[in-house]
Amino acid sequence: MNLSSAAGRVKSTLPWLLLIALAVWPSTNPSPNAVRLLFITAVWTTTSLAWNLVGGLAGQVSFGFAVFYGLGSYAAAVMINSGRSPLFAFAGAAAIAALASFFVGLPTFRLRGPYFAIATIGVGEAVRVVMNNLDSTGGASGYRIMEKGAFRQIEHYYYALGLVALAVVIASIVKNSKFGLALRAIKQDQEAAAAVGVNPYFCKLWVHAIAAALTGVAGAVHARYAAFIYPGSEFAFQTSISILLMPVIGGIGTIWGAVLGGVIFGIVEEEFVVRFPNIHLLLYGALLMLIILFEPDGLVGLMRRTMRLLKRWFWSKREDSGSPDADKVLWGRGSVEGRKL
Amino acid sequence: MAALKDVSFDIPERQICGFIGPNGAGKTTLFSLITGAVRPSAGKVHLRGKDITGMNAASLVKRGVARTHQVVRPFKAMTVVENVQVAVHYGRRAVTRTSAAREHAMESLKLVGLDRKANSLASAISLGEQKRLEVARALATAPELLLLDEICGGLTGAETRAMLELLHRIREGGTTIMYVEHDMKAIMSVCDRITVLNFGQKLAEGKPEDIQNDQSVIEAYLGKSSFGSEKRA
Repeated sequence: MNLSSAAGRVKSTLPWLLLIALAVWPSTNPSPNAVRLLFITAVWTTTSLAWNLVGGLAGQVSFGFAVFYGLGSYAAAVMINSGRSPLFAFAGAAAIAALASFFVGLPTFRLRGPYFAIATIGVGEAVRVVMNNLDSTGGASGYRIMEKGAFRQIEHYYYALGLVALAVVIASIVKNSKFGLALRAIKQDQEAAAAVGVNPYFCKLWVHAIAAALTGVAGAVHARYAAFIYPGSEFAFQTSISILLMPVIGGIGTIWGAVLGGVIFGIVEEEFVVRFPNIHLLLYGALLMLIILFEPDGLVGLMRRTMRLLKRWFWSKREDSGSPDADKVLWGRGSVEGRKL
Repeated sequence: MAALKDVSFDIPERQICGFIGPNGAGKTTLFSLITGAVRPSAGKVHLRGKDITGMNAASLVKRGVARTHQVVRPFKAMTVVENVQVAVHYGRRAVTRTSAAREHAMESLKLVGLDRKANSLASAISLGEQKRLEVARALATAPELLLLDEICGGLTGAETRAMLELLHRIREGGTTIMYVEHDMKAIMSVCDRITVLNFGQKLAEGKPEDIQNDQSVIEAYLGKSSFGSEKRA
C-alpha cells in the first residue's frame, strides 16, 4: 500500500474521529473539572485558529485580538441579559467583532510589519480603557450575565465544541481557497501580490473580519459560561498575547499547529497555573525562546522533522536524492516538510 | 529637479517597444510612472484613450497591464505553479475554481518552459528560471500590455536567447510589450521600435537600425565607436 496516500487518509479522517470522540465523551460521565478543561481548551483553540488566519497565513502579526474577544463577550452578555437566545447572542457577537475589525483594520493595515503590530497594541489598550470607563456595562467593576434556567455545563461544552469545529472548517476553507493563496502571497511579498492583481488591503481586511468574528464568538461562549466579565480580563493585553502565543507554539500558518498550540496552552493555563501559580510564565518564556531559536515552525515543524529523521533512520540505505521525482519513486512519499511533491 | 521631462511616446498594439538609455537616464522612473508606483508631477498615462495615471498595481492588472520586476520577486515559500495560480485567480481571467486555475497556470508555465518545475518551490529554482517565472506570472493575468523591466539582466547568453524567443511568441499571442532594458544586444534584436532616453529626456526614437546608426545615440549611450562592449553596471 502506498505510504503517502495512507498518511493522507489518516490526516483527513482524524479530525472527524476526534470530533466524534469529543462529542460522545460526556456520556462517559467525566468530572465537571475535566469538562471545564476541555471547554476552555476549545475556546482558546478557536481564537488560536482565528489569529493564525491573520498572523500565520497573511503574515500580519496582531497584538490586538483581545479587542474582538472582549467585544464579543460584552456584546453577547448585553444581548443575553436583554432576553435573547444564546445562538442569537453569539451571532451578534460575531457581527459586532467583525464590524470592530474594520474600524481597527482600516487605519492599521496601511502600516507594515512591526508598525502594524505596535498599532494593534495601541488600539487594544485604548479599547480597554474605554470599556473600563463605560458606565452602561459597569465599567471596571464588571458586568454580570443573568440567564433564566439552570446552569448546564454540558450545553456550554457542546457550544464550544461546535465552535471549534466550525473554526477548523472555516480555517481549512480559507486556507485551500484562492483567497488563502492570495493571503500566502501577501505574506511573502505584498508588492508582487499586488502586481498580479491581488488587492492586499482588501484581502487583509476580509481575513481580519473572519478572524475577528470567530474570536468574538469565542469570547461570547466563554462569557456565557463565566457569567461575569470585566475589562481587566476580557480586554487584557495578556489575552492578546495568549491568543498570539498558541499558534506560534503549535506551528504558525498550519491548522494542526493552531489546534495543537491551543490544546497545550489550554491545559497549561488551566492545570499548571493552579498548581504552580507563577511557573507558567517561565514555561511560556522558555518554550517561546526554544521555538524561535530552533524550530520557527513550532511543534508541528518539530514533529515533521522528527518523522523525517525516523523515516530516514528506517530507510537508512536510501539516501535523499534531492530530487522530488526520484524521492517519490524511492520513498513512496508524497510530501516533504508538508509540501506536496 | 526632474527625473523625466517632456517625454512623450505611443506604444502601438502588438509591437515590442524598447526603452534604453545609460544609467540615470530615467528608464526606471518611466517604468514606475506607468505602473503607478510614482505619481507624475505633470503629464498623463493613457491606455486605449483612458486615463490610467497613478492607478495602483491591482487595478492596472484588471485593466490589462501587467509587469515583471527587475529584481525577481517570486513567492518563495510557494511552488512554481502556485505562484502563477495566484495571477490566474486575481488577473483579468478571475478564475474562481482552484483546479481550473491550476490548468491555466500550467499553460503559462508550458509557454515559458517551466512546466517540469511546476511543483518545485520557487526559492529552489535558478535565477534564469525565476526570471521566466516572473514572465509566466505576469502573462497569467492575461494582459494586453506587458511591461518588462530588464528581463534579461543577469542571464547567460543561452538564457537570454531563449527569453528573447519567448518575447516574440508572446507578441504573436497578441500581447503588446513595453521593454526596458540595459542589455543593448537584447533590445536591438527583439524590438520593433526603440526609444532612447538620456538625462530624463527623449534622445531618439525609431527602428533598431536607425537607432544603431544614430550618431547622437552612439555618443551618449555607447561612447564613440565601441558599440556593444560597454561595461555594465
